[in-house]
Amino acid sequence: MSKKPSGGVQPALHKVIMVGSGGVGKSALTLQFMYDEFVEDYEPTKADSYRKKVVLDGEEVQIDILDTAGQEDYAAIRDNYFRSGEGFLCVFSITEEESFQATQEFREQILRVKNDEQIPFVLVGNKGDLDEKRKVPLADAQSRAHHWQVPYVETSAKTRDNVDKVFFDLMREIRSRKMEENKMSNGRGKDKSKRKKLRCALL
Amino acid sequence: MAPPPVVTGISPKEGLPGTRVTIRGENLGNRPQDLIGLTICGCDCLLSAEWKSPNKIIARSGPGKTRGDIIVSTASGGKGSSTVQFRGYHETIGPLKESAVWIEEAPLQALAWGRRSLSPTSYQMEDPLGLSVEGNEKKFPEDELHALFPDGSGDLASDQFEPGWFLLEHHHATSFDDLRVGLSYLRRKVEGQKEGQLSFLKANVGSVMEQLDTLFLLKEKFEADINIYGVDRTVKMEKSIAESMLEANKLFEGVLKRRERADATRNALGVLQRFRFLFTLPVAIERNIKRGEYDAVINAYARALNLFGKTDVVNKIFMNGLKIWMAWHACSIILRQIHGSHVPKNFLDGTATNLVNLDAGGDPAWSAIQVHAKYLTQQLNSCFNTHMAADTSVEEGKTPKGSHSKHTRTPSGNQILDSQSTVPQRVLCVEELTEIMSSRFPDLWKLGQAYFSGELQIPVGPNQQQEFKSIVLNVIGLGCSLLRGVLLPHTLETKSAWPANSSLDVLPAWLPHCLRYVRSSYSSLISLDLPGEALDIVGKLLFDLQLSCMGTLLVQAGDQLSSLHTKENWQLHFDSRFGGITSLPTLFEEIITEAITLIKETVLQSGIRETALLENESAKKEFNNKLHNTLLNFVQALEKLVSNNDMGDHSPAISQLIGSPAHFRDHSQSSGLAWEQRLLCTLSNCLYTEKEVLPRLLELLNRHNYPPLPKTFQAVTNALNMLEKDIIETFIEQKSDPLVGTIEPSMYLGRFDWDTQLSPTDLRPYAKEIIYNIVAVHAEVYRICPDQIYYILSHIVETIAEELSRLMSCVKSTKFSTQGNQQARIDITALQETFSAFTTSTAESFFSEALEVIPPLKNADTKVVDEVLKTFQSKMLLRVACLKTVKKPLNSL
Ligand SMILES: Nc1nc2c(ncn2[C@@H]2O[C@H](COP(=O)(O)OP(=O)(O)O)[C@@H](O)[C@H]2O)c(=O)[nH]1
Ligand SMILES: [Mg+2]
Repeated sequence: MSKKPSGGVQPALHKVIMVGSGGVGKSALTLQFMYDEFVEDYEPTKADSYRKKVVLDGEEVQIDILDTAGQEDYAAIRDNYFRSGEGFLCVFSITEEESFQATQEFREQILRVKNDEQIPFVLVGNKGDLDEKRKVPLADAQSRAHHWQVPYVETSAKTRDNVDKVFFDLMREIRSRKMEENKMSNGRGKDKSKRKKLRCALL
Repeated sequence: MAPPPVVTGISPKEGLPGTRVTIRGENLGNRPQDLIGLTICGCDCLLSAEWKSPNKIIARSGPGKTRGDIIVSTASGGKGSSTVQFRGYHETIGPLKESAVWIEEAPLQALAWGRRSLSPTSYQMEDPLGLSVEGNEKKFPEDELHALFPDGSGDLASDQFEPGWFLLEHHHATSFDDLRVGLSYLRRKVEGQKEGQLSFLKANVGSVMEQLDTLFLLKEKFEADINIYGVDRTVKMEKSIAESMLEANKLFEGVLKRRERADATRNALGVLQRFRFLFTLPVAIERNIKRGEYDAVINAYARALNLFGKTDVVNKIFMNGLKIWMAWHACSIILRQIHGSHVPKNFLDGTATNLVNLDAGGDPAWSAIQVHAKYLTQQLNSCFNTHMAADTSVEEGKTPKGSHSKHTRTPSGNQILDSQSTVPQRVLCVEELTEIMSSRFPDLWKLGQAYFSGELQIPVGPNQQQEFKSIVLNVIGLGCSLLRGVLLPHTLETKSAWPANSSLDVLPAWLPHCLRYVRSSYSSLISLDLPGEALDIVGKLLFDLQLSCMGTLLVQAGDQLSSLHTKENWQLHFDSRFGGITSLPTLFEEIITEAITLIKETVLQSGIRETALLENESAKKEFNNKLHNTLLNFVQALEKLVSNNDMGDHSPAISQLIGSPAHFRDHSQSSGLAWEQRLLCTLSNCLYTEKEVLPRLLELLNRHNYPPLPKTFQAVTNALNMLEKDIIETFIEQKSDPLVGTIEPSMYLGRFDWDTQLSPTDLRPYAKEIIYNIVAVHAEVYRICPDQIYYILSHIVETIAEELSRLMSCVKSTKFSTQGNQQARIDITALQETFSAFTTSTAESFFSEALEVIPPLKNADTKVVDEVLKTFQSKMLLRVACLKTVKKPLNSL
């Protein structure tokens, strides 16, 4: 599963992971962002991968989106996926109370895997166009986001409302995190080599 | 070119072989046909690809089991790239896993897949370290294990067991402490085994005692059971077991049958897979043959031969079948060609070479030559026969259409406007025959060349060179004799000529057209570098055809000329030099010029390898004769115009009482000119032809490089001269006879006699009438034929003078009174003077004779004569002025 080393010419790569219960619109958001298309029918996802170049504040970067399964059946493989993520869009549907509750579990799993309270993270309330069927009050969502210290954005994959915003906001977040990390890159570098040695020793 | 495709999305990003994946991206083609390639992890998946939109393709992943790019290729954008990757993996299917197919339970099968053995025992074996593997969901990637231990295995029972593999596989997430515990556990177990049975018993004395107790209890129970159930305690059980077995077998029967079928199907699939290439071979070959890619066919054949040719008998039989099939196919192509559609020579080459490469046996190239020759022969014959049949059927059908309306397409005219059906079958036949000769014969020749030059890599038979030559000669000979049969049936004594019928009559008009076809066919044959012998056959045909064509053209012109007299409309055109001429000489010139130019253009235009026709002596003679006859035809036509007085009218009486020049005008309104005028016109035409047209024609012939023909032209000139003389004689006769005939009656009109006592005051009316008549003739001749005026008038004056002298000599000299004497002198002198310009010496002597007959007059009496003459002269001055000025004859006879 080794990655190709990214050459110097390659623009910076930001890895975004879509999380959330099944059917809340993760794939819909992704496809809307990637291809400006809205998929009406629901096809459960396993794990989809997308990557394209975008211009983020005048700088060309690559966004890599991993669209994951919300279903419980696949919960086991989620850990693996989450490990590679640099930022998370945690999606629920404002028309479905349970999906909002589920965000709690996702948040915990992410924090457990990444072991990083500051991990770039946006709480996304999707299906904003179905306001008349709203089950999750705006205030509830906002208060949860506030509690987690993450932004909360309401989107609609159908009308494309705020779709670009959530992705770009998250990327900015990721970028600034990386810049911070670069400042203390020495520490990280050591960390890495240490881990590798450990594995060698084991063998 | 459109931008290359880029794949930017894959759903899902990993899966088993055959996973349905949605590929998204940009420029993935603008329509389904644009998509020409798709590989996932290096596996070609185009077959399963379903093009949805330029952004979306749905496909199934291939058998690759690595991570790899998804590469889309389009016709419009070329080979693309991908920013995302797909990972294919293989799922191990064990006995506990649901599966759509039967799994071989033999360990061999599992090993064939490069997997650890999955026999139930090893799978359920307890962990040797005594550690739980529950919750150890994260598997260590298998490919990395393979990479780390290339020859190793994680199977505890395997010879290649690698502890590292085992640990990584089962315990890579286990903590170090746990592992340590596991190790001591393992050690304990191993040591436990070493210590032997006694220590084992010691260690487990409690449980041993417990077991003994249990056994004892069991014995008691068993004995009690015997008392209750008897010795054979298990009978019932055995029976139930047997029953359940039967039942189980029944249950499984269907399943086992299905399994058998599945096995059979799998075997069949295996065989199919193996021989797939072979099975698709015929289709592929057919497709390639259709496309004309024969090399591909040969390659496929060679490959099949390599793969299967030497392996087993079945395949050999199959290959033989294929070979036969290929040979048949090649033959069918040739056959198809025989049935009309033309196949190019290089194709024949190819087929022949291919047949050789395929070991089809025999000498295919030679057969191709023979077949092609036969094909040509057939084509030629059938062309001839079809057209002949069509022609004769039309003939027999007696189509009401007149032959004129039938041929709206003129031989030289353009063929676009006119319908094909109006062209005579003979001409169509010639067109087709020459077409066959010039476009299909070369294939035979080139094929032969290729064959003999070894281009086809075929050994050449010993007598074939000679045989090929005779084939070529036969084909050309046939073509030529068929053409002869159509065009020159008289040059063939055999039955193969086209029966003479009406279509032969119209043929001449088309000869130049046909000649052009034959000639172009000839030149295309020449360019082939054929042996001279073959070319000579065509050359001879061409020569005969040229000769015939030339003759025909001349005869045609001659026919036109001899009917030219019917075209005379007597419309006069006035020429400053020749007076009045009609359109006939111009028509004559046009016809001859056209014939000569046409002959020059079509017949004499000699190409390569043609002897100029007129350099041949006999041809030259023929040309000369034909031209001579043709030209004479015109003279004859002119002659016909004047030979008989077909109008049945006699010359108008030249009596002043009846006749007047106005008479002519009336006449000309009804049917052109009076006969005498026609005579004059024709005369004028003759002269014009002789002096103007003939030199021009001579010049034309020179310009076209015809050989000089002085005799011919001299002969024609002579003929014209004779005709001119005849005409003039006739005209003079026609004019002078009535004129002279009226003199006597007019002289004695009103019972006049020479003993008159009336003193003369003027000319007698008869004399004036003579003058008027002459003036009229003069006007007539001068108008149409000014050059001949002297000749004609002088002849007439001569006859008048002769008549006067006869009349005077008939008067007895005693009869003259003085007045009569004076009158006679006045009359004759006046006439003599008036006609002086046209008086020949003979006429002069006749005049003198006439005067001498009259007795001499006294001097006093002559005064009256002089006075009357003087007044006559002054009175008639204007009337006779025309007779005074004689135009000097430019072209006197
Ligand atoms: N009205 C509306 N429907 C949505 C929206 N986003 C997703 N859907 C619908 O919700 C269903 C599930 O979406 P999907 O993206 O597959 O959910 P996922 O399981 O989170 O990937 C689909 O039928 C979508 O059409 C939205 O913003 N508005
Ligand atoms: Mg989805």
